[in-house]
Amino acid sequence: MPDPSAPHRGGDAPTESGWGPLSALPGNPLMWVLILSEMVVFAAFFGVFAWQRALEREVFDASQQLLDPVLGGINTMVLLTSGLFAALAVAAITQGQVVRCRRWLWAAFGLGVVFCAVKVYEYADKIGAGLTPETNTFFTWYYLLTGFHFAHVLFGLGLLALVAWRISHANVETATAFWHMVDLIWILLYPLVYLLR
Amino acid sequence: MNGSLPGTRRLLITWAILMGLTLVTMLSARLGGDARFQALPLWSAALLLATTGFKVHRVLMVYLNLRVSTPAWKGLFTAMTLATLTIIGAGYLMARFTG
Repeated sequence: MPDPSAPHRGGDAPTESGWGPLSALPGNPLMWVLILSEMVVFAAFFGVFAWQRALEREVFDASQQLLDPVLGGINTMVLLTSGLFAALAVAAITQGQVVRCRRWLWAAFGLGVVFCAVKVYEYADKIGAGLTPETNTFFTWYYLLTGFHFAHVLFGLGLLALVAWRISHANVETATAFWHMVDLIWILLYPLVYLLR
Repeated sequence: MNGSLPGTRRLLITWAILMGLTLVTMLSARLGGDARFQALPLWSAALLLATTGFKVHRVLMVYLNLRVSTPAWKGLFTAMTLATLTIIGAGYLMARFTG
């Protein structure tokens, strides 16, 4: 049975030289392609959001004040801490500490669940107050941007659980890279939607 | 490429910086009292975007370990971050002065 902590590029992955310039990136090169793609997609969304804000400034300002920026800030800290645990999981598997790695992965997973719980509370609060995607342009974008990000969080949680079960260096490195990407998008999304006014 | 991973100490320092900057972001957005209902001063909006950019940079370089990559890749992702922040900042200024 192969050593799960051995660093490698994964079963059928091409050799390092086979990735061309991508081989200069740490971890799975395809994950970096995904990260770059997601950054481009979210940058486009942010651009349209900013443009809509310029067109309907009063609606956006009034609607933004109905959000809870402190809850958003708490969720930022939750995700950043979860990211730390994910990075510690990679460090552990690199040192061959499978049990410790699994613990860090579940710790990262647990904080991801906390993020989701806070977000669900926020959605329930807004919907309970009659603020739905149909309310106005701001809330259409609020649900679209945060909902799209939320879908990424759920997918990332699935990945973390999967690699905690089927643990290997390549799996842990790839899943945690996705998790950091989710973190990175939220860092950009939080000030745009909750804070800038 | 299997570059050297950041050590536990570096990860913890980065985490502490990220948490501190999140607090700075929240403070610069002036969330307390009546100030919450007023437009941010420009310096405050600029500080908010600068701390956000630095946080993204830290996550890329340390959590994602991009620091071990080539200058070209580091430059590309840094440029992508700056472009995104420029889009956000330009949209904000457009709303502020033409909206």
